[in-house]
Amino acid sequence: MWAMIVKEFRQVRRDRRTLAMMIVLPVLLLVVLGYAASFDVKSISVAVAGPQAAAVQKLLGAPFKVTETESAQGRAWATDQLRDGQADVAVVTGGARPLVLIDGSQLFSARAALTALASHAQGTQGPAGPGGAGGAIKPQVTVLYNPDLTTSDIMIPGLCGVVLVFIGTIITSLGVVRERQSGTLEQLAVMPLKPRDVVLGKIVPYFLVATVDLVIVLAVGIAVFGVPFRGSPFTFALGALLFLFVTLGFGVLISSVSQNQGQAIQLAMMTLLPQVLLSGLIFPLSSIVAGVRWIAYLLPLTYFNEISRGVMLRAEPIGPLWQPFVFLTLLGLVVVTGATLRFRSYLAPSGRERRGPRGRSGSSADTSTQTVRAQEVGA
Amino acid sequence: MSWGADDLVVRYGKTVAVDHVSVDAPAGQVTAVVGGDGAGKSTLLRCLAGAQAPLTGTVRRPAKEAVGYLPSSSGVYPDLTVTENLDFRATGYRLARSAARERAAEYLEQAGLTEASDRLAGQLSGGMRCKLGVIAAMLPKPQLLVLDEPTTGVDPVSRSGLWWLIARAAAEGCAVVLATTYLDEAERCASVLVLDEGKVLATGTSDEIIAAMPGALRSANAGGSGGSSPRASTARPEGSRAWRRGGQWRVWDPDATAGDFQPDLTDAVTVAAIAKEVRS
Amino acid sequence: MSPLARLTGVTKKFGEFTAVKDVDLNVEPGEIVGLLGANGAGKTTVIKMLLGLIGTTAGTVELFGQPPSRQTRRRLGYVPQSLGLYDDLTTMENLEFSAAAFGGKPGVKDTAIPDAIKQYGKDLIGALPLGVQRRVAFAQALEHEPDLLILDEPTSGVDPLGRARLWETIAGAAQAGAGVLVTTHYMEEASECSRLVIMAGGAVVAAGTAQEIIGTSQAVVVLAQSWADAFGRLEDAGLPVSLAGRGVRVPGARSEDVQRALGDLPAVVQDVPATLEERFFELVQGS
Repeated sequence: MWAMIVKEFRQVRRDRRTLAMMIVLPVLLLVVLGYAASFDVKSISVAVAGPQAAAVQKLLGAPFKVTETESAQGRAWATDQLRDGQADVAVVTGGARPLVLIDGSQLFSARAALTALASHAQGTQGPAGPGGAGGAIKPQVTVLYNPDLTTSDIMIPGLCGVVLVFIGTIITSLGVVRERQSGTLEQLAVMPLKPRDVVLGKIVPYFLVATVDLVIVLAVGIAVFGVPFRGSPFTFALGALLFLFVTLGFGVLISSVSQNQGQAIQLAMMTLLPQVLLSGLIFPLSSIVAGVRWIAYLLPLTYFNEISRGVMLRAEPIGPLWQPFVFLTLLGLVVVTGATLRFRSYLAPSGRERRGPRGRSGSSADTSTQTVRAQEVGA
Repeated sequence: MSWGADDLVVRYGKTVAVDHVSVDAPAGQVTAVVGGDGAGKSTLLRCLAGAQAPLTGTVRRPAKEAVGYLPSSSGVYPDLTVTENLDFRATGYRLARSAARERAAEYLEQAGLTEASDRLAGQLSGGMRCKLGVIAAMLPKPQLLVLDEPTTGVDPVSRSGLWWLIARAAAEGCAVVLATTYLDEAERCASVLVLDEGKVLATGTSDEIIAAMPGALRSANAGGSGGSSPRASTARPEGSRAWRRGGQWRVWDPDATAGDFQPDLTDAVTVAAIAKEVRS
Repeated sequence: MSPLARLTGVTKKFGEFTAVKDVDLNVEPGEIVGLLGANGAGKTTVIKMLLGLIGTTAGTVELFGQPPSRQTRRRLGYVPQSLGLYDDLTTMENLEFSAAAFGGKPGVKDTAIPDAIKQYGKDLIGALPLGVQRRVAFAQALEHEPDLLILDEPTSGVDPLGRARLWETIAGAAQAGAGVLVTTHYMEEASECSRLVIMAGGAVVAAGTAQEIIGTSQAVVVLAQSWADAFGRLEDAGLPVSLAGRGVRVPGARSEDVQRALGDLPAVVQDVPATLEERFFELVQGS
């Protein structure tokens, strides 16, 4: 038995990917649970409109944080601020009572806002200052976009993103690695197929599968769970398309650095897990400690979540969504270009150095590239 | 037009896998490339087929549409059926559908694979999978057919079937280059290239290689197996110039002019390998 | 002296499928028994039963006079086709693990490691050439001085000199008293064996020495100007043909039939004894 233990230790020590997983994952979980996993919203952004904007700003304390004041604007502007994701709460002054609009699609901020407003209202029952901003302020509170504050309304849009990540990254990496494992990659290199045909041919089926899955999730969400789809389907589709490019590209990239399906899955899992935990899917972004929050802004799913929730729940137009769209487009270009280049080098070899296959069961691995002089004489 | 390669060099990291190797593959003939593992056969064949570019040297090969290749891993998709595999090959090479189907059916019939047409390639026995691989490579009627160890590990029955296909391809005018570890197969080929650690150990027809063998061979009965007395044994004669074959010791005397028997290709190749060992 | 391994009337069924049919086989000390057969003939199943990995449906398997057990495994040396080495361990680590697993004294005997592989002691198996890996696998199997060696395709893919050296090791073990059971596809290695057992379709179709098995089987050698023409004509006549250098062989035929099939094609036609491979082919076709 001792011999078995010694042997396993020796093997694990050399298996860098598994070691990375065994060390990185607990650290990641620690970071997440320590700094990110929180449903407590520490700061609720507020946009204030109307003539008494400044006064309201002075009145609202923590956890509210006024980020915009426009005394010349009214309800329409305030609603837009919420719709475009600029603020979690908007206050409109100038009417008989101040109107507080709460973005229901930011579930936890909304709940925190309601709680804070309730205790605030109680606190202001006592002696009040002069002027309209004191005394018995009974603001009219309306929750927009998700009036019942149901979780499924915000989860289903998020789920759309997860489905796309799953299919894009995991399944694609499996599909392409399979080629390498069955030893047919060399055969493809010799056949008169263009590298572009091979890469696209490999991606398109998963593209279609992902689209079908997405439609199913949406259909079930809307029909069974009553999730609204208020915005433009075109914007949503465009966002999904871009996001799919990113995830499929990642899938091909992962496959090009993996020798077998086991490795591909490991790597794919390591990209999936942070996205599920840190992209705002489960734990709201605003409750993640700032020091860790920057990680979320590197993850593609964070941006797609903004698009899917914005479009489905708030009918957010494409204009205010320019940030996520631009980010996804750029990332998509980078990833797909990288993946195609790597793949192309397998299919149109140019004499680079690489480690050869080992007998019948071997698989090739790349080492480094080198410039070559080689001539081919075609007939 | 004779296909082949001139003065190829291929490196993997620090190892030289193919060290200045040239080979000719005339149309209508089967050229054998022989050597153990690590000799460089697979690398050479990959360069010939176009799956890999050499570091230096020239490869004379037809356009991609006219090259058929069977890698050592059999090159067929285990999760597609026999028919689906051949369909993919036909479409990839842009062959006329019905002509390709006809040709495929004929090859499958001759190879005894027709009943297995709807079986997944991964469920075929090793020999049948190799036959499928050869048929797939031959399907586009290539001018150059490169087969990497199609018969290694295959039972003798299937091997005969494979040789039928190979002979058929050559008979149709194709230039066939075949890597094998079976020297008796190499003896059947029009010419042989023997590789050892990336370098050419011998080349020519099998007769030429045998004739070029220096010295002569003696035989000494080894006993111990093949003999009737299990315990009788002869000590290993003459150090590294002796080797076992067929239950006997064979000894190579580099200076002798006449030997106990006529060497065959295996003997000639073994001697060449020993001579190389002795030199280094 | 009782045989080291004995199968008596062994049958193995997997559901409806009979993998092994009424097989008798034994291996005596000091002899090399060659087990030949096509894929699916049942060789692997026989080996698995000998190793005690699967049970029989009928018949008995005896290893050193008893049914296979953990004790009998200690006296067994086995090299599978895949060599059974860990790619991500070094040579020495592999040998140490195996030595410990076979319950010997701790550490690997210095004498067990042939000089040829000593230099690779610290190299990862995955980085070594196949030829060296094979020698390590052999050293591992022989380290605990087994009484019975079972080798599955030990020389597949090896060059002639390498093969000869491996057979030296095998013969050495046999001379030292061990019994060896070998499977191989190289027909010419059949002559390295004391005795052959040929299996087809799960049953033993022939047993004995190569000469006994070939018996009086014949073949016809055809040397023609154009082998392709000869090939074509014989094929058209429905005769089984195989290539032989620049000539053509027709196993199991008579020269008159061959001559008739060739017609007016100029060729030299000769009756010769069949090779073991051709006889094997004949036997397997028949079953």
